[in-house]
Amino acid sequence: MIPNAPEIGKLLFIICFWICAIFLPVWLVSWAVGVLLPMLLEQGSPSMAMTATAETLRALTPIISVMVFIPINAMFMVLYERRALALFTVRLGPNRVGPDGLLQTAADAVKLLFKEDITPRGADAFMFTLAPIIFFAPSIFGALPLLAAITNNHSLYQITNLPTGIFYILAAASLPVVALVMAGWSSNNKYSLVGGLRAAAQAISYEIPLVLSLVTVCLMAGSLDVVKIAQQQDGGILNWNIAGGGALRGLDKAIQTKLGVETTPLITPQQSSDPTETPVAAPTTFEEVIHQYYPFEFLSYISAGVLIFCSFILLGLYLTGACAEINRIPFDLPEAESELVSGYNTEYSGIKFAIFFLAEFTNLFIVSSIATVMFLGGGDNPIPQWLLNKMPLEPIQKSLGAILSPFINGLHLIDPDTFWAAFWVIFKVYTFVFIAILIRGTLPRFRIDQLMDFGWKRLVPLSLIAFLVVVFARVLVVCHG
Amino acid sequence: MGSNLIGRAFESFKRIGEGLRTVLMHSFREPITKTYPDTVSQIAPHFRGRLALSVNPDTGEHLCISCRQCERVCPDKCIEITAHKSPETNKLELIDFKIDHGLCMFCGLCTEVCPTTCIINTNDFEMADYTRESLVYDLRRLTLTQEESAFYFEAKDMPKPKPKPPKPAPGAAPAAGAAPAGAKAAPVGAKAAPAEGAKPAAAAADAAKPAESAKPAAAPAEAAKPAAAPLEATKPAEDAKPAEAAAKPQDSSTEPAKTVGDTTAKPEEKPTASPEVKEAEKEKAPEQGADADKKEG
Ligand code: SF4
Ligand code: SF4
Repeated sequence: MIPNAPEIGKLLFIICFWICAIFLPVWLVSWAVGVLLPMLLEQGSPSMAMTATAETLRALTPIISVMVFIPINAMFMVLYERRALALFTVRLGPNRVGPDGLLQTAADAVKLLFKEDITPRGADAFMFTLAPIIFFAPSIFGALPLLAAITNNHSLYQITNLPTGIFYILAAASLPVVALVMAGWSSNNKYSLVGGLRAAAQAISYEIPLVLSLVTVCLMAGSLDVVKIAQQQDGGILNWNIAGGGALRGLDKAIQTKLGVETTPLITPQQSSDPTETPVAAPTTFEEVIHQYYPFEFLSYISAGVLIFCSFILLGLYLTGACAEINRIPFDLPEAESELVSGYNTEYSGIKFAIFFLAEFTNLFIVSSIATVMFLGGGDNPIPQWLLNKMPLEPIQKSLGAILSPFINGLHLIDPDTFWAAFWVIFKVYTFVFIAILIRGTLPRFRIDQLMDFGWKRLVPLSLIAFLVVVFARVLVVCHG
Repeated sequence: MGSNLIGRAFESFKRIGEGLRTVLMHSFREPITKTYPDTVSQIAPHFRGRLALSVNPDTGEHLCISCRQCERVCPDKCIEITAHKSPETNKLELIDFKIDHGLCMFCGLCTEVCPTTCIINTNDFEMADYTRESLVYDLRRLTLTQEESAFYFEAKDMPKPKPKPPKPAPGAAPAAGAAPAGAKAAPVGAKAAPAEGAKPAAAAADAAKPAESAKPAAAPAEAAKPAAAPLEATKPAEDAKPAEAAAKPQDSSTEPAKTVGDTTAKPEEKPTASPEVKEAEKEKAPEQGADADKKEG
């Protein structure tokens, strides 16, 4: 039926294998550091020092799990990208190392680590060494607040939760540009310098629509806290920010009331009890609920539509800005291979180049997870609660629970809330990555003047307009926040 | 202007969407990549791969007449022919034929000038080797078997050479000039059986083209080579090679003339500019006589 079914199957197999290879170690390491070791320490000798060590270990869990995650993830993403691009360009892609090319990027990574680390003559050695580090560091510490959001505020990761999470993430995300300019300048290579300067110009231009689109989302959510934003969107696809920032929440509630479903959590966790949303007298009929959430009847419906339209525009703006921010095609001017012989990293080799590479793909993952948290409801199940209750999931749940209960209750190996949240986050994030790859396979590179025109003359005004529209439209509908 | 802008924005979104859909749909097409060592793709017969010397597919006699056209025309000077005049028959006899495939750029010029379609490009492209020296192919490695020759004559749609008559009539010489052209024009005659080679005059005019004397019981091409070996002593005298380097540019301009020219009278006709070559050929000329046949030792 599909002539390419074997290749697609192989890609799916690679994805499944590598996702297991990424998240099993992350899971086990964070469990060992965050749960098992402290548990053993505290049981062994409940002294002051032991407790302190245990607490320290718990506090270190997020960073350790991120450190385990980043290299394996970068390996997977490179392979994922190469294989998916091969599908799009009617090729086979790497298929020699390991079964179906499964280990290609692992071999590449080993090769890169063993390569000679060259510092070109005339280069500023200190800057030259510092640049990859500055490039890489933000992708670690910038990602930390997201951890709390995507693990559904797991107790181990709560330490990474900041009240101004998204602000902090954006601040961290704008740091790598400095590193790119440094790398370009210190390489003592004109191509690299041009690449670095292009990176600076591009990042300055595209950060504005990027930040404005996220600010608009925060406006709809009424919070800068990523965990709160993620939790607001719980309860199915109608609650997500992509659906008008909660503009369809009334519809969701109304359907629930109509079906008479009590909102017991099945897979998704309990709805956060927001004081503003609970009415004085609980409405009982479909119309009442609708009226409560859309108080101005027709005007409210229109503004809900406008909000939904705007959130799609915001998502588009965010993805465009993010693409430019992490220098991916079609905005890969700083490393334009055909013009600048890969720009700022021309002179890099060996482990420094590997770090640039690592950070690039980690950044791709991070912007995808920001999009997931801000627009697609974080770890939320896309299927609405009332639909889930109709499905015959109860027996499966029960039997799974019976099998897994020793792990859940005894060893604390599985946290059901976090488990499903993580599952959905992984799914959504890699879907965004897939879209990024698809865009890379489709669109050609911008010219630098087109890039600037597009940024300043199109995206910035568009994001300002979307911001204004959302400000007014959200008054007419009961949104999140 | 504003509406124009919005219209254009939607237009471009539509275009981008189309592009994305097209690219996504490509992932359902079968990959065109061949996993090379596992599956080798079918190479067109006119692919210009490794050079080889063909033999008459019917009789197995070597087609090279040692005319050195290929050696002269080669821009890379990678062909080296060693031939000598057989004292018994006064004909050129091939001793060795070397092609340095490390130098060759597979331009195919040599195959075009060859009057007997002896030297051909094969489909073989897997010539990787460990040393540069092993890229120099000698006569043994260059000569194709009868079956391979048959395949290439068939695949390249070349007229099959006629087997050589054992004793062509001396008068056939002028008429033999039509050999390459005539062979092309009359491929029907190309399938002449070995026995037919014995036919005099008329047949011989066409058949003068194949370089080697017709042996009705065709010896394999390999057998021809050792046979030439004992006569190697005369090789230095015959070796006009150094001169040819100088003669090459002029030769390329004379190619068209040669293809319709007389193979047997070639040495005399060739307007080579180089005195050395001329001299070497002059010296050959009287002995050469009217026929291009070469005696097999
Ligand atoms: S193909 Fe060209 S380069 Fe190679 S031997 Fe023939 S004439 Fe010379
Ligand atoms: S017959 Fe062909 S292969 Fe032999 S020397 Fe002449 S041109 Fe070269």
